Amino acid sequence: MDLDFFSKALVIGLTEHAPLVLAAIGFSLLYRLTGLINVAYSETITLGAYFGMWLNTTFNLNFYAVLLPAGLMAGLVSVGTYFAIFRPAKRRNVGNLELIIISFGLSILLRHALQFVFGYPVRFFDVPPPHTIFVLGVGVGTFRLLAVASVAVLALALYWFIQRSSFGLQIRALASDEDLAQASGIRPLFVTVLIWFIAGIAGGMAGAFYGVGSSVAPLLGWRQFLFIFLVVVVGGRKGLGGVIVTGVLTGIGLAAMTLQFGQVLYAQLALIVAFVVLLKWRSKRTAETVKV
Amino acid sequence: MNLDWLHAFLISGLFSVVVIVGLGLLLHLQLGLTRIANFGVVGFFGIGMYSFGVLFTKVDWPFGDLWAFLISLAFGTLVAGIAGLLIGWLIADLDEDGVLVGTLGFATAVFILATTEQDLTGGALGLGGLKFPYDIGSVKANEFLWLVIVSIVVALILLYVQRIHRTPYGRLLIAIGANEPLARSLGKATFRNKIWLFAVGSAGMGLIGALFGVMKRFLSPESLGIDVTLAAMVALVIGGTARVWGAVVGGFLVIGFFDIVVQSYLPLPKEWYGQAIPNLKQIVFGGVLIMVLLFRPLGILGDMRRDKLMRRVHGE
Repeated sequence: MDLDFFSKALVIGLTEHAPLVLAAIGFSLLYRLTGLINVAYSETITLGAYFGMWLNTTFNLNFYAVLLPAGLMAGLVSVGTYFAIFRPAKRRNVGNLELIIISFGLSILLRHALQFVFGYPVRFFDVPPPHTIFVLGVGVGTFRLLAVASVAVLALALYWFIQRSSFGLQIRALASDEDLAQASGIRPLFVTVLIWFIAGIAGGMAGAFYGVGSSVAPLLGWRQFLFIFLVVVVGGRKGLGGVIVTGVLTGIGLAAMTLQFGQVLYAQLALIVAFVVLLKWRSKRTAETVKV
Repeated sequence: MNLDWLHAFLISGLFSVVVIVGLGLLLHLQLGLTRIANFGVVGFFGIGMYSFGVLFTKVDWPFGDLWAFLISLAFGTLVAGIAGLLIGWLIADLDEDGVLVGTLGFATAVFILATTEQDLTGGALGLGGLKFPYDIGSVKANEFLWLVIVSIVVALILLYVQRIHRTPYGRLLIAIGANEPLARSLGKATFRNKIWLFAVGSAGMGLIGALFGVMKRFLSPESLGIDVTLAAMVALVIGGTARVWGAVVGGFLVIGFFDIVVQSYLPLPKEWYGQAIPNLKQIVFGGVLIMVLLFRPLGILGDMRRDKLMRRVHGE
């Protein structure tokens, strides 16, 4: 192991796994602020990729032009699922566990319904091959550099939005005490829709980056879901900043282990084991009662 | 034996119904009673299937096929049970998010290992060489006998679940599911009981996986997709999460409809069966899960229950 290995792992980890950070930010907004574990978030990502591919191939727009529209469309779908399913569920006082199963059902439903719309074969973005730029001696495609840049910009913007702006204050107030927030004149519906919309945009753009990097397939989001969820559960305790840091470290770790083991599956396996053990260790430290 | 009256599709359709009913029954113990949301059903199913298959085909057995078969079967069940013990220990004191991560992560890990460990599992190409522990003539007769044997195993699981409902142990499980801190404060060993229940259920799923592998005669990572977990969950939820017969009713209704009625008896165009019907099946499964949990959380059998405690647990 030398400096070359580290710079490789750093560059590949940052560029290849930048969408992971973006998706994790979106997922953690929902998870932290509405308390919902939304398995169907993986389909928000997948739909972002499909919308981007569709705009790109039907209207001959280039990738930079479709990125934001794809995110906005995924955001609208995300808001749609809130009104169609999660809002009625909340009104009916459905339990947490049932909500997870409902979102799981929605995930399956969307994943297969989109195949009726977009067809069964794997689809591709129609883009010219990206230029390669050498960073620290490692060749990186321009789309991936753009992904890193936009993740950085979006992460900062969201951080500012949640922590500093008055909307962010409303969002945080609603998350911590709904009744009190309502009594202080915050419109819960507007704020909740805002959260779902922003989360959907982040997921959709992450999906477009995933899609342009390889191919667009129905399982695109689901393959990433476990890792996004791991990042959010492990890093989410320290807020949005924790999610971003954990996401970046996870990306670098995955790249380093993939280089080391020569196979991405082993890197994923090691990551799953490490994170689950970490969760267990943390729960042991914070256990409120003695186990019998 | 003359089996002309029996359609080959009917055997495979009934077999998938029976397998999913078995998984649903075990999931009922974990999800319905103890409220552990096991999203890794296919992981335990798969680890049992592969442990059985690898031991049976890769070892040079010195004695007859039947003994080798039974030992491998026990081994598959045991490995799944040990995995259940480990995963149960990891997730027993975590929240819903931890349980989801742990079980989903386990299923993914099993899939990864089935793909990467090519020397043992054959990787993505798959593992062949499995066979029935008997030979009574035609393929159809062999498959029919296997269907009968697996049905008996699932019936035994049904009896076991029914027994649990009537014992103090079952009431303890329900209490853990309803209010774990309360059960703990009454001096019940909630942590230990949860782990053991999870391990026993997972061992059963491993056994069913091994039995399923014998019928398929060929193991590949493709059969370790999330659709197995989904089917078991749909069968259980539509029938009734809290009821003994829930998984049985739901399994025959939902899986039976798609794998028997649609597959063999509906006059549908042939080209639909390739992609449109399987796709539609998943859409219906997802939709059913949403609809039932929104509008009738206790499933079809829900209201007939006499036990007031369970009704309160499930929010009605």
